[in-house]
Amino acid sequence: MLFLMFRLGQDRYVLDVEQVEEVLPFLEPTILPGAPHGVVGAINYRGTPVPLLDLSLLALGRPSAAVISTRVILVRYPIEGGETRRLGLVAERVIQTLSRDAADFVPSGVDAGMPAYLGPVASDAEGLIQLVRAEALLPPELREILFRQLAVAS
Amino acid sequence: MSDASGTTRSEPVEAETPQAHPGRRDRAAYEEVARALLERPLPPDYRAEWARHFAAEKPIDTGVEVELASAVIFRIGEEWLALSTAVFREAAEPRPVHSLPHRRNGIVRGIVNVRGELLVCISFATLLGIDKNADAERGDRSLHFERMVVIGRANGRIAFSVHEVHGIHRYESRALTPVPGTVGHARAFTKAMLSWQGRTVGLLDETRLLDAVDRNIA
Repeated sequence: MLFLMFRLGQDRYVLDVEQVEEVLPFLEPTILPGAPHGVVGAINYRGTPVPLLDLSLLALGRPSAAVISTRVILVRYPIEGGETRRLGLVAERVIQTLSRDAADFVPSGVDAGMPAYLGPVASDAEGLIQLVRAEALLPPELREILFRQLAVAS
Repeated sequence: MSDASGTTRSEPVEAETPQAHPGRRDRAAYEEVARALLERPLPPDYRAEWARHFAAEKPIDTGVEVELASAVIFRIGEEWLALSTAVFREAAEPRPVHSLPHRRNGIVRGIVNVRGELLVCISFATLLGIDKNADAERGDRSLHFERMVVIGRANGRIAFSVHEVHGIHRYESRALTPVPGTVGHARAFTKAMLSWQGRTVGLLDETRLLDAVDRNIA
């Protein structure tokens, strides 16, 4: 299986590339006034508004660094009825993919109290790599607000 | 740019140590350079520009095959010229031209050694009738970019010096425009005009050009 790697601070995280539609440069979003924490705005992707979530802001409380390696990962976010909506994730050091067996990822052993989007972990010489489940990135209420707001705007 | 200068400085030091793992050392050096490039701050307007780019409709693939061609763009004197990559062989460092006895006239300048192969070196400026004052033989203000260019077909290759090689430019064949009547002597060898970086560059007709070279050398 192929995974797309990014970093939150020094730690490595991966997303299943099946969930990734495209990796974009760190483009300027349109601010959504009153957007919940972690949401930095919306981008106009080929004429369609796509909400933009800053993973560093969400997890570490600081925005992602404005450098070339900070990119926007466009994921297919599953919503009801088997449909998907696009969701933009700002992440740092999106410069690598990782080819690993799905079985390499094992539960970290610390499930309680962890954010819901964190999945099992895989290890290598440098330490642990955490798998992020895109569908669990947004709490239900946030998802509701986000996609409804954009539907009204469009 | 402090990263770049740091890398340059460290090279001689590394060269003195025995090369136990040359591959590994190279890789580390490349990673270092790549990191410096990737971790550099965003240029001004970078984010806004990309936002505009992705806001536009994705170009729809119409199914019509766009015919792409490529040419090498180079400069002789004040003249920028393009030549099909099909006949372009090499752009080498400038090297001495050894003159040939009894060949003082015409377009032949002498013989050059390009990686062990002796090639006839011609004056492209003379052949095309480009301004002699800026000719490669007389020296030029931008000697740093001077290159010895090798072109040719299956039956032979020749070399000539140019003041600068820009690189390979890909263009759509339909974007070419006809040659205006004012291009001068080079017109005989120019098959079309090519738009490049806001300039119009003459695309040389490689067949006629090489035929003319063959006639002149013989």
